[in-house]
Amino acid sequence: MNDHQPSNRRLTEAGVQEDLQRQPHLFVRLAENALTVAESLRGNYFKNTATFIAALRKAIADTQQGRRTDPILEVRRVPETSWADVQDEVVTFIDGGVGQVQLASQVPILLRVGSYRVRTGERRLSEREQFGYYPVILGDLEGGSKERKDFIDIVRITAELLAGLSALERTPDLRVLIFHGPLTYLVGSYAGHTPFTERDIDLFLRQYAQDAQIARALKEDFLRQAHVDIYPKITKRPDEWARQRIFEPLSFIAFLLRRLCERARQRPVPAYIVGVVERGNLRELSETILLERVFRGLRQKGNIDYFNNMYGRTDLSTPKALLDRLGYTDALLMAMLLEPGQYSESWSMNKFDGLRRGEVALPGLADEELVNFEALKPGPFGFPRIRGCYLHVSEITEPVRIEVFDELADADYLENVVRRVYLYSRLLPGYGFPVGLDIADKYAHIPTWLTNAYSKLIRYHLGISLQQGEISDAEMRRVLVQAIYMTHRDWLFRPEP
Amino acid sequence: MATSRSNRALPNSQSPAAPAAPPSYVGTIVGESASREFRMAVAQEAIREQDLVAVDAELRPTDGQGPPESIRVWAKVQRIERLNPLFPSEAGHELAATRTNPFETVLSLSREMVTAVCQVLGAEPRGNNPRGKLDQLRYPPQPASSVYRPGSEDMARVVLGELAQRANRALDIATLSNRPEVSVSVDGHAIVTRHLAILAMTGAGKSWTARRIIEQLAAKNYPIVIFDPHGDYSRLSEVPALRQKVKRYYAQFPVFEQDSETVVKVVESLGWELAKTHRSHFDTLFEAARAFIKAPAPQIQERTEWLSDYLRNSKIKEYGLKPDLYFFGDFVQAVSAANAAEDFDSLSVLIEWCKQDDLRINKQNAKWLETFPNNLRTAAKRLRLMEKTNQKISGSLDPLPNDRTEIVQYGQVSVVSLAGYTGDFQATIYNLIANDIFQARVQEKLKLPVLLVLEEAHNFVPGRANTPAEERSIAITKQIAQEGRKFGIGLVMISQRPSRLDETTLSQCNSYIIMRLVNPADQNFVRKVIESLGEDEARLLPDLDVGEALLSGQLINFPVLVRIKPPESQGEREEEDAFKALEDAYRSLQQGARQPQEVRGW
Repeated sequence: MNDHQPSNRRLTEAGVQEDLQRQPHLFVRLAENALTVAESLRGNYFKNTATFIAALRKAIADTQQGRRTDPILEVRRVPETSWADVQDEVVTFIDGGVGQVQLASQVPILLRVGSYRVRTGERRLSEREQFGYYPVILGDLEGGSKERKDFIDIVRITAELLAGLSALERTPDLRVLIFHGPLTYLVGSYAGHTPFTERDIDLFLRQYAQDAQIARALKEDFLRQAHVDIYPKITKRPDEWARQRIFEPLSFIAFLLRRLCERARQRPVPAYIVGVVERGNLRELSETILLERVFRGLRQKGNIDYFNNMYGRTDLSTPKALLDRLGYTDALLMAMLLEPGQYSESWSMNKFDGLRRGEVALPGLADEELVNFEALKPGPFGFPRIRGCYLHVSEITEPVRIEVFDELADADYLENVVRRVYLYSRLLPGYGFPVGLDIADKYAHIPTWLTNAYSKLIRYHLGISLQQGEISDAEMRRVLVQAIYMTHRDWLFRPEP
Repeated sequence: MATSRSNRALPNSQSPAAPAAPPSYVGTIVGESASREFRMAVAQEAIREQDLVAVDAELRPTDGQGPPESIRVWAKVQRIERLNPLFPSEAGHELAATRTNPFETVLSLSREMVTAVCQVLGAEPRGNNPRGKLDQLRYPPQPASSVYRPGSEDMARVVLGELAQRANRALDIATLSNRPEVSVSVDGHAIVTRHLAILAMTGAGKSWTARRIIEQLAAKNYPIVIFDPHGDYSRLSEVPALRQKVKRYYAQFPVFEQDSETVVKVVESLGWELAKTHRSHFDTLFEAARAFIKAPAPQIQERTEWLSDYLRNSKIKEYGLKPDLYFFGDFVQAVSAANAAEDFDSLSVLIEWCKQDDLRINKQNAKWLETFPNNLRTAAKRLRLMEKTNQKISGSLDPLPNDRTEIVQYGQVSVVSLAGYTGDFQATIYNLIANDIFQARVQEKLKLPVLLVLEEAHNFVPGRANTPAEERSIAITKQIAQEGRKFGIGLVMISQRPSRLDETTLSQCNSYIIMRLVNPADQNFVRKVIESLGEDEARLLPDLDVGEALLSGQLINFPVLVRIKPPESQGEREEEDAFKALEDAYRSLQQGARQPQEVRGW
């Protein structure tokens, strides 16, 4: 970012504007923001943003140079790392892909989680790389609320975590395990799904371990823990749930995350378990750390109207208000504050606020019952805490967010994770993302030819059924004809003139 | 065979005789398969470009009646694509910039997709096609079919095709490039009747190829006339089997045994274009000069002395008169001088000796003729120089016969050496010979068919003529290319600069042997003119090895990549190591210098 300007130039408003002009992706994001913010804020949006960022940069620089004692954000440079430093390390990347069939609308049909394991420095290809996949045909599942749009998400999250756990179990010397996406999602929004059945879990576990006994053990471990410790806290009928051997999705996901964390910690040197997020819209770091400290400082100095004066408003007096009004996100602010090769201080992420009470229907039942998901907040049987930070890989990309388990993440651990993510991402400077995830993504990708062929097959069978008079219900016939030729027109089913 | 009817394919699994993947399995058909082309996923490094492969299929009659027909579809591997879809090119740039070994990184190097694009050559009934002829395929091979490499015998049978039944026409010239054990014979009939072009850059092996073909044709006693501008065929007669068959001619030019039109062409190509006055008097002067020099010996003596005295040129007396352009120049000078000086006595002598009343011309025209002898002497000087060089390079004792069609003989390979002559004169000599042969065949005076081999054809048939000599040589070559087949004259054009060749003439060739071509203009030209050359084959041209060639057109069943077998003869220009030659020459010099000392020592 500062290759073309002296470091003090970077701290000025003009320097920030030059940076923005050199980074079209940032410029476009700001332009979008400028169009969506209130009219009164549009006028000098770019200029005011530059002023704001220059002030933040200066405060950060002052801290780094010892001129300021109350840091607004700790920024560190990724230690110099070369590939020679990470030789003979086993790294596994995990990513899931969804295959959607185009009928009248997109219908997800199957999901495939891919894993890519590689040992750096290994010359023998057969020893060096290994690919795994975990396919799930969504129609095969009995549980989960298929009518909900996020049904595919809980299936994918579950399958990805199983793939990660499987990698950790199968590979004693696994050093780094990287997931595409958050290590833990904002789980509150996924509450309320119908639990999975044991048969569903068997489908998930089919690819989990070479030895079926291990898969069975994992299942039984959960059911035991659920019966004794989890279900009593979240439902009034824990025994019935246990009797039905059902797997409440969030409880199971939390269990898998805890298992991952435990297994990583049990190694002589804890394995690095990482989630890497691109294009995130989170603003938690900005709101709870960066701007909170800025406002604190303003309050200390009696300058609480700093932003109001700058933007000509009266309501920019809290971090949330500022971010709401101006449309800034963590990624946007970090892109302007971090130089390539720098990463932000980490913070314990708040992913569990949304866990509240919700209603759940058990498989095969219409009645819903109240479930207390709050019990799954971090604790002995809830979700493990997550720590995150931002890493800026290259000037032409937005920073990525790195997430790790909080209980593993001492300073060394986090630094080692950042070094590796940076090194892996430097191979794709135009994407700024670990190249292994790109590989796993391509591997897990459901090829278009497959979903196209599948949709052709469906249409063919529907067409034959219609032709042969097997579907007699007039309304059903009308709907099917419409479903077929709303996409690719078929001469046989052309509309009436 | 039913392949040309519209039959329906049976899935492999439905065929009771459907074999498992054969041991020579090379891949599986993927994607959309068509009657002309299919793609196959390739087993690791199982094939090479231009390999011949086959797929077995079952075709049911379209009416559903009768048993399915077992066929074998033959195809040629046109292009192999190798892709690692998990290796982003951006990462490659980063590796290059940081000089990083990919094995040290987390990049994936193991997953490669190798796909081959295969051109369907045709199909034959399985197990019952001794003819080797392939029929058009009218129904695509089934996706997921196994593709295999047929055995050498099958391959040889199919490459030979119908030639197997016409062994007398087959010329054994090559082997399959990727399968050296498979011989490739070409149709000699197609070559001698429908013309052949051999196109290759210098050093790629075109003369070697031509010699191989000539040796094969000579073994069949086919009359061949080779126009050899550089002595490439000087050692053809060293082949024991050809010793009695090869006759080399040097292109000496017996001026007064030619018609006057021919001599005009020679003078104009070696001197300069004749002025109108010179041209209008040329025939008379030439016929008079011929009569002057064709006298019996005692009279020649008298005429030599007269001419020497009249022109006050003692050298005429000293060297005597010879029937060449020098003499013609002297003669014209005498006629011109006598008329200009109105020296009617001398003129009467000349008229009497030459039996030509037309030698009397007006004074003005006589003045204009004064510069004509200079033109003739310039031409004479150049002609003599070239003749000497030509004779030396050709190593031949035989001049061209006056009846040039005599060089066409049963079982004879006539090599007309053109080395030493300028391009124009080469074109003139070629034009004279080719024209005579063509006219003799048209008028049925020449009974034997003949094959003309034109080395450095771009000099004789350029796309655009720059001189009258080139115009004439283009015209006769075009005529032979277009009409030669009717009159039993075949043409082999050999060129290292195809893009300079006349497009019409080249496109009249029905057979092509194309070897390494690097020049983009040549590649584009060849691609444009030769319809039977596919895009993928054209792309191969710059990468062909020395001696490798693409055979295309009527000489072969289907286009194949071959390696030409070595000819038995060697070319004059087959290069020896330059540095070795230098050392040899130096040693020889030193020995020469030491020799007297050693003698003195004795």
